[in-house]
Amino acid sequence: MKSAPPEVVLSGVGITAAIGQGKAAFGAALMRGNHAFRVMQRPGRQRGSAYLGAELPQQTWPEQISKRLLRTATLSGQVALATLHEAWVDAQLDAVDPLRIGLIAGGSNFQQREQVLVHDEYASRIEYLRPSYALSFLDTDVCGLCTEQFAIQGFAHTLGAASASGQLAVLHAIEAVGSGKVDVCIALGALMDLSYWECQGLRTAGAMGSDRYANEPELACRPFDRSRDGFIFGECCGVVVVERRDHAVARRVRPYASAAGWGTAIDRNRNPDPSLQGEIRAIRTALAAADLAPRDIDYINPHGSGSVIGDDLELQAIRSCELSHALINATKSITGHGLSAAGAVEIVATLLQMRESCLHPSRNLEQPMDPDLNWVGAAARAHDISHALTLSIGFGGINSALCLRRWQG
Amino acid sequence: MPELDILSLVVQCARETIPELAEHEFRRTDRLAELGVNSLDRAEIVVRVLEALQLRIPLVSLAGAKNIGELADLLHEKRTS
Repeated sequence: MKSAPPEVVLSGVGITAAIGQGKAAFGAALMRGNHAFRVMQRPGRQRGSAYLGAELPQQTWPEQISKRLLRTATLSGQVALATLHEAWVDAQLDAVDPLRIGLIAGGSNFQQREQVLVHDEYASRIEYLRPSYALSFLDTDVCGLCTEQFAIQGFAHTLGAASASGQLAVLHAIEAVGSGKVDVCIALGALMDLSYWECQGLRTAGAMGSDRYANEPELACRPFDRSRDGFIFGECCGVVVVERRDHAVARRVRPYASAAGWGTAIDRNRNPDPSLQGEIRAIRTALAAADLAPRDIDYINPHGSGSVIGDDLELQAIRSCELSHALINATKSITGHGLSAAGAVEIVATLLQMRESCLHPSRNLEQPMDPDLNWVGAAARAHDISHALTLSIGFGGINSALCLRRWQG
Repeated sequence: MPELDILSLVVQCARETIPELAEHEFRRTDRLAELGVNSLDRAEIVVRVLEALQLRIPLVSLAGAKNIGELADLLHEKRTS
């Protein structure tokens, strides 16, 4: 007889975003609805342009992180190390057998700006290119950095799924633990480090928001508002530790939530435009896997990028799945769109809201596209989440949904 | 540049590349690997030296050096040949 799959829990988090480094600072800023949007200034972000976004302030790296690793790591690598450190401590992973810990870094091609800077610097003297470029141009360098710093020896690899990468990394981590491949799996949504090339491409493709709010950057990022015109980028990284319930309890670690069910759907569409049917299929698959009815979901953390078409279809999907009663807010309105990191960051945001029994506000939701939905508007709202649904959508027809159940210890 | 200056340059590049070696008192017989410098960092140090000397030679041609003194000797030889 086949035994029931083990209950898998989310037992540790790490977060780095422009509004705050670490779960305490991030959580407080989230509840206040802070923002860090402005014309981006990081070298390699602009080329006669004025793209808006939220960039990390100067970071403080934990003392425990090897300075030798930090020295040659890219920004994505440095932030991955610091964010994973927080999650590692949060879940008390020092006590776990390294051979039973895995790592999945969500994202692909996420170090573009650093590559552009190297190309520009060495274009006229390529024979003197620094050898560490041989490592740092590979996204898997993040896995190398993290496994050298932390005792992870089960497995480590990247997983690309466009803007659903972060959530897909968490889903695969849940499956790796559920199957018994490892006892603990760390999912990391890697910081997407856009260069001016990607900014221009995303702008030209109609995905990135326009210059309409150039003089009022705090108004530019407005998911689900009638005046939205595309996503606004935000640097961020999220880490989630996944393990079996009994494994966490044995270490006296209090999980944030249980993974109740999840689903993915592929649209057979190479393009950026999403599909209503795909989103519905992912949501229904997740609900069925969790053995939940739509009425059981009381909070939705949507993809909500600020895309003109994407936001519209996502709300249609929520309605079609009979979820319009659930409270809903837009994390990206505060963090910006982290692309590869977004799904993991939003799961962290959901877990922190669960633990705080409070839902964060949505910025710039002045004229909601669908005012009849149960929006958390300009102010945070007290609420004990019972079951949350978090959604991610990626270019190339990728849809994913994860149901989280409040921790019942 | 006299040989000694090339050795000084190697030491300077090693210290810039590996800040942990800033206080180390280098000797000709020092082997970078024994100072905890991995192969990639060694390559980085050598590339920095090559650029400072404006030498365009394959890194592999310096592989025979057993310590930083021999590396400096070899660089001097390449530079004058």
